[in-house]
Amino acid sequence: MIREPYSISVRELNEAGQGNIPEELVPASQLIYSSPATLAFNSPGATGFGVKRAGLAVPGSVMLLVAPGCCGRNTKLVSEIPGYEDRFFFLLMDESDIVNGDHLARVPDAVREVVEYLDEKPSVVMICGTCVDALLGTDWDRVCRKAEEASGVPVRPCYMYALTREGRKPPMVLVRKAIYSLLEPAKRDSRTVNILGYFSPLRDDCELYDILRKAGVRQINEISRCEDYESYLGMSKANFNIVLNHEARTAADDLAARLGIPYLELTRLYQTDKIASQYKAFAGSIGVKLDDTGFRAAAEEAVRSFREKHGEISIAVGEMLNANAFELSLALIKYGFKVPEIYSNISREDYVYIRHLAELSPETRVYTNLSPTMLHYDCSSAAADLTLGKDAEYYHPDCHNVPWNEEKQPFGYAGVTGLFEKMTEALA
Amino acid sequence: MSVKGLHKIIYPFAPDQSGAASVLYELGGMIIICDAGGCAGNICGFDEPRWLQTKSAVFSAGLRDMDAILGRDDLMIEKIRKASDKIDAKFIAIIGTPVPATIATDYKALRRMAEKRIGLPVITVDSNGALWYDSGISKTYLECFRRFASEDAGGIIPGSAGVLGVTPLDSDSLTAGDKIREALSAEGMEKVICYGAGSTFEDFAAAGRMEKNIVVAASGLRAARYLKDRFGTPYECTDPLAGEVRSALPLRTEEIAGKNILIIHQQVRANALRDILRREAAGSGAEARITAATWFMMDDELSEEGDFRIREESDFFELVRNGSWDIIIADSSFRRAAGDLCGRYIDLPHFAVSGHFAGEESVRFYT
Repeated sequence: MIREPYSISVRELNEAGQGNIPEELVPASQLIYSSPATLAFNSPGATGFGVKRAGLAVPGSVMLLVAPGCCGRNTKLVSEIPGYEDRFFFLLMDESDIVNGDHLARVPDAVREVVEYLDEKPSVVMICGTCVDALLGTDWDRVCRKAEEASGVPVRPCYMYALTREGRKPPMVLVRKAIYSLLEPAKRDSRTVNILGYFSPLRDDCELYDILRKAGVRQINEISRCEDYESYLGMSKANFNIVLNHEARTAADDLAARLGIPYLELTRLYQTDKIASQYKAFAGSIGVKLDDTGFRAAAEEAVRSFREKHGEISIAVGEMLNANAFELSLALIKYGFKVPEIYSNISREDYVYIRHLAELSPETRVYTNLSPTMLHYDCSSAAADLTLGKDAEYYHPDCHNVPWNEEKQPFGYAGVTGLFEKMTEALA
Repeated sequence: MSVKGLHKIIYPFAPDQSGAASVLYELGGMIIICDAGGCAGNICGFDEPRWLQTKSAVFSAGLRDMDAILGRDDLMIEKIRKASDKIDAKFIAIIGTPVPATIATDYKALRRMAEKRIGLPVITVDSNGALWYDSGISKTYLECFRRFASEDAGGIIPGSAGVLGVTPLDSDSLTAGDKIREALSAEGMEKVICYGAGSTFEDFAAAGRMEKNIVVAASGLRAARYLKDRFGTPYECTDPLAGEVRSALPLRTEEIAGKNILIIHQQVRANALRDILRREAAGSGAEARITAATWFMMDDELSEEGDFRIREESDFFELVRNGSWDIIIADSSFRRAAGDLCGRYIDLPHFAVSGHFAGEESVRFYT
């Protein structure tokens, strides 16, 4: 019996091609190891934004989780985050509900009781359904309509259907659609823009704000910066939406269809040359000229300064961070650092980076956080001088680490600058 | 009248699949949570405090909608077989969740198919996520002893005791097993096995060799009765740590006398604490009226008249509102729900309730 974690070099991965990803890297073909990364997306109550926390992005909203007790257990962690106290309620299914769906008849009364219990009427009650209702085929739209009649407040469904994670519309896509579903048609304002994609705001120093303002935008909306329900409803006025996370594409499509708001997409990148190209294309598509040279120079200076101080160090990269592990690894290698190991799930879309990685660093090894063989990973080994990502820290607890998973989202040049500042701090 | 199942303040407790996994965590088997991912995530990320310290082969079956709808058990068994080629495992445990409960998975058939295909002993636990942790512990103990305990393991070991109901979930400390071993050793026991806390697969196989069993939580009671029937092992229900728990309560003896007190915990601990407080009150020449209540298993043999099984949050409100309690001793999670309806509230940690131990730092990777 081989007691080693499965890994593959980027060269081999590239040679296999995106249509032939090895079975060991395909989640559906194996049991799933409970690694820190798996916990973060399998148990989203544990960290970051899962369906439960994301579903409460609408200001003044509360959530009724309709589920067996197990699905609400770790919600306690979310409830301990400031701003989430007193916003979760539970309608617990018993053993017979699981089979016959009797709990659904109780939902309208439960919503009414929750609304009556609260001192202040919620802006919306989000109903969070789980795997049981996925299998029962529950018509949540109908249940929510009945609950709305019973309670007198808007009620919307969000789907914590882990069973559909690899489906066409996985839970994190649908919850993004759900949180914008309350927006109604309004008169458009040519100087208002929405940023979609994240449940927390961009870093305050992100140049995208400056770029948009210089392009004449007066109002930049992000759902996480809406202080109240009224300002949330103001998102209906946007001239266009900027989608920063592909999981918000369905929401943007819905807003385009219902409210006539067009959208364009930008990607979070750490390669400064690619950031520049993306901004150039962005400026072209909205018909403005933009000057990003100052922002780019600052980011490249942060990289240069770090490299000058610490040399061409080796950096192991995980996936529990605000970056695509492969794009970030490619950026680091292009900046002159070594990336010996990457810990990440792989999708076909990652091949755009894997192809370049195979040219520049073919022997970089890729581990998947999902493989049962990761149980054998030797956490006492020192694979790198520095690790990036909370999961990478788990594999190398004695290494310097930058979790890079802050709530405020890095983007663009400010993301590069911020990352290298944190790396400098970690090695100080 | 509140809607059945509605919780407005009290968060759900550790579910039965977490209880099942807590018994098996250290036994060297492959533990397969028959779920889409969230249940395994909840176990390792929240309910299993040993996850951060000790590696264990706890895996999610990674079920997807079509696996469940089409009942593709063979696909799951093939995944288990492939993993078993790469992981040393003494046995396979398949633990149920709401997904197999909804599609009425035939666990017996699943076990037979898996044993045939994989060639390792397989146990299944029909947990469903709608019951609390104690149910999962109880079922898993029973399943383990049925499958693994052997008449051929040897004779009775003099001075030995098996302890049932001692996984981290039942308790207020990650080191409860060690403390129980110390306490029983101090009483003269030479060999103490805490099933689910520092025990091995071989300990379960040799369960029939124990001179007696000690049940420290009601979750261990069914297994104790089974072992008595099968091996003749006598058992007693007691909490060896009750004295230590009492000492930690900020409550002087003179504050107990004449008071109306409610203790909420798992039944054995609540009873043991009640006994101590009563003795203290009697020693000071006054009685204390003490009621034990629990959200979990309540065995008639261990109950006094007036003891209370709480099933709904509304039951809890009623119990607190109508009891005229001078003192409530319970996990801090209930403090807010108790509001100002009692004279004094004293924390009595219960990991399965709050997910926190007494005075110990966080046990989670993500906090």
